[in-house]
Amino acid sequence: MTGVTEYAGYLPGLSADDVEWRTLEFERGNRRLEVAVPVLSVDQLDELAARVREASRAYLKTLTVSRIIEIIDTAVARLLDRDDPYRRKAEELLPLVTGYDREMVRLGLTEYLKTFRRAELAKFVAEDFANPAMLDDFQPVPKGGFAKAIGPDLLIHIWAGNVPGLPLWSLISGLLVKAGAIGKVPSAEPLFAGWFAALLAEIDPRLADCLAVVWWQGGDEARESAVLQQADLVLAYGGNDSLASIRARTPITTRCLAYGHKISFGLVSRDALDTGKAWGVAHRAAYDVIRYDQQGCYSPHAFFVERGGKVSPREFSKYVANELACFERKFPRRTLSIEEAGGVAAWRHDEEMKASSASGRDIMGDAAGTWSTVYTEEVEDLAPSGLNRTIKIIGVDDLSDTIPHIAPYKAYLQTVGVAASPETLFRLSEKLAAAGVTRICALGNMTAPEAGWHHDGRFNLLDLVTLTEIEQSAERAADAFARYAD
Amino acid sequence: MGVTEAQIIDRLLAFIADEGASDDAFNAMALELFAYQFENNQPYRRFCQQRERTVRTVRDWRDIPAVPISAFKELTLSCCAPEDAARVFMTSGTTRDGVRGKSFHPTLDVYDASMIANFRQRVMPDRERIRMGILFPGEDVMPNSSLAHYLALALREFGTDDSHYLVDEDGLDTMRVVVELAHAEQTGEPYALLGASYSFVQLMDALKGMDEVGFLPPGSRIMDTGGFKGQSRDMALDDFYRQLSSTFGVERRHCINMYGMTELSTQFYDSGNEVCPSVKSGPHWIRTRVVNPLTNEELPRGEKGVLAHCDLAHFNVVSTILTEDAGVATEDGFLLLGRADGAAAQGCSMAVEEFLKAAGG
Repeated sequence: MTGVTEYAGYLPGLSADDVEWRTLEFERGNRRLEVAVPVLSVDQLDELAARVREASRAYLKTLTVSRIIEIIDTAVARLLDRDDPYRRKAEELLPLVTGYDREMVRLGLTEYLKTFRRAELAKFVAEDFANPAMLDDFQPVPKGGFAKAIGPDLLIHIWAGNVPGLPLWSLISGLLVKAGAIGKVPSAEPLFAGWFAALLAEIDPRLADCLAVVWWQGGDEARESAVLQQADLVLAYGGNDSLASIRARTPITTRCLAYGHKISFGLVSRDALDTGKAWGVAHRAAYDVIRYDQQGCYSPHAFFVERGGKVSPREFSKYVANELACFERKFPRRTLSIEEAGGVAAWRHDEEMKASSASGRDIMGDAAGTWSTVYTEEVEDLAPSGLNRTIKIIGVDDLSDTIPHIAPYKAYLQTVGVAASPETLFRLSEKLAAAGVTRICALGNMTAPEAGWHHDGRFNLLDLVTLTEIEQSAERAADAFARYAD
Repeated sequence: MGVTEAQIIDRLLAFIADEGASDDAFNAMALELFAYQFENNQPYRRFCQQRERTVRTVRDWRDIPAVPISAFKELTLSCCAPEDAARVFMTSGTTRDGVRGKSFHPTLDVYDASMIANFRQRVMPDRERIRMGILFPGEDVMPNSSLAHYLALALREFGTDDSHYLVDEDGLDTMRVVVELAHAEQTGEPYALLGASYSFVQLMDALKGMDEVGFLPPGSRIMDTGGFKGQSRDMALDDFYRQLSSTFGVERRHCINMYGMTELSTQFYDSGNEVCPSVKSGPHWIRTRVVNPLTNEELPRGEKGVLAHCDLAHFNVVSTILTEDAGVATEDGFLLLGRADGAAAQGCSMAVEEFLKAAGG
């Protein structure tokens, strides 16, 4: 399939001939894909912003939330249908673009898309709005008076990363609050968001101008600034350096919600380490490691494992190693760039050096370097792994001993996968919450947050809106001016 | 009992001087040096044994275990007693955990011989001496910097008496540079500007505000080294050399980049930067392989990998190192293609480098 070109982006009001295209090349083994990404001029970006803003005011804002949910549900149903052309394209091209195993992408897409069906979307809205009708009309509020939640006319998304479909979170969040949006796709996965926008426009043609999906080289000052100047609200994802520059280019009167890179980990209590259960726990722990090769903010970098169970932490690390080896046969790791392979090698070299100068440390891995585990007897601070199926297993006497070793990184903590009894779960959760952890889930579920989760502990929808309140005084004063007033 | 330090030094100095040394001679020298390091450098010996390599099993220089540069931070790699080292060069400590990697030198005779012979051939093939300006602090200020020593040596061996350092305690002495440039333009005497890449960026930024800056006369040259990371704004290489050339009036083919490391005693050069990235190569006593960092297998020419160097001049430490630099082998050298340390994560998960920076480590 050499020579195939797929066009990325979604550009209402612009024909392909009006736009300059740049080619991104993706090569996996003997398969090659060219993705043409649009490079709009600053003028074109300005016009696009004006068009989206206008359509957002004129049409999107007139839809009810339930109608928007219906439209998204229809789109998601099509993406869940394996015979749908968009779904077929996603299954065909996303493994090529991201390098992830086909089967992992297929399963991952289904699992992920399922969290955006009608019922889940309704829950999603209800999570943030006790009375979702306030997105449609002024509604009475408990303190008295009325309030309506207003979404931005133009929401700018700046996405990052190569986890397939990730932009859907913020794109759908924006739609649910009736925000017109321009999304900037990352070079690492430039396709999915554009397809979704085109699909929505197919389902409801009047939505066609309410969304746009563009691309520019990360850090392109002129284009980024031009778009940010137009924004009512900015949602940005990425590393701290790029977020800092995005924030600096956003006008002070515009809110910029920045989602930075995060670090996650797992806790395995002695309750979960009896001989019958430990294999299953190790299997689930390894699953969290192999899913998207630890590229997600929710992916684990370390497992703290408690001593005192039937299976020791050291034995548990061997179980995990074994599971990683099995997964490598079922869902092989994607081919790494040399930069990524260098990252894995650097991490392994560091660990080898530590192991050669200290006792109580083991390193396991296969000859091709597709996975590695490090076991350490002595508790140490949480730190990033080398990514791409490299994991550290740290033995601890008591799981609460881990708290001082995660607390220094409060601003960067996100998910903790836990295998423990109910008592231990709740006892630990108190401490984890205080340390800054925002999501606690079962091991094996770390990479699949449930519908309506609060990303990094924030309110996905509530953070996007402003409230307009009619105070009681206005209501009372209005009475005096009624036609029927005495 | 193997060879002594004095014997290995003599053998190496002779090898460096032997311009016609064959591949076999390189191999023989590399194996002899490996045997010396295996015998005298205990941490390296253990490192080799962990990889099941000994003097008996290593029959080709390509099989000499390459030490990852991160090991220079963890291990004391030295054949002589570290306290007997005449000089210790240290990495800048700007990456990872701030721990500095060390290279111990019982004498700088071999380092200096390597540097001088190579510099003469690659930077000064056409003349004995040249008036120099050095954009880097002196050895007295940075006694543990191999680059400071390298530049001091360049000045001593190849600079005229009126060569200068253009950096003082307060940093870059821009006025001094302007005076030097004007003098060169007036007299027509060729001039060499040498220093850290980031100092050139800072200098060009400082000169932007000034209207009249002298152009360097024909025969002048520029040599930069080390990249920009963290020290100045980042620049695309092509832009960097375009701006260097237009600021100082030195053609890009006379703008040479030196690629060196604290963990080596020999440098690589290109033959100017008309095209970026340029092909880098070294003298006959250093060899480079492009390998898969996870398996250490050599990659076919043209395939991107990580650079591993075997430098016979680095006799007291280890000859063979695995870098964190990405590159591609070419017919007459290699292209240097940036870092391969996993600093740029693809997803939204944190990478080591970013975490350390964010956590203030």
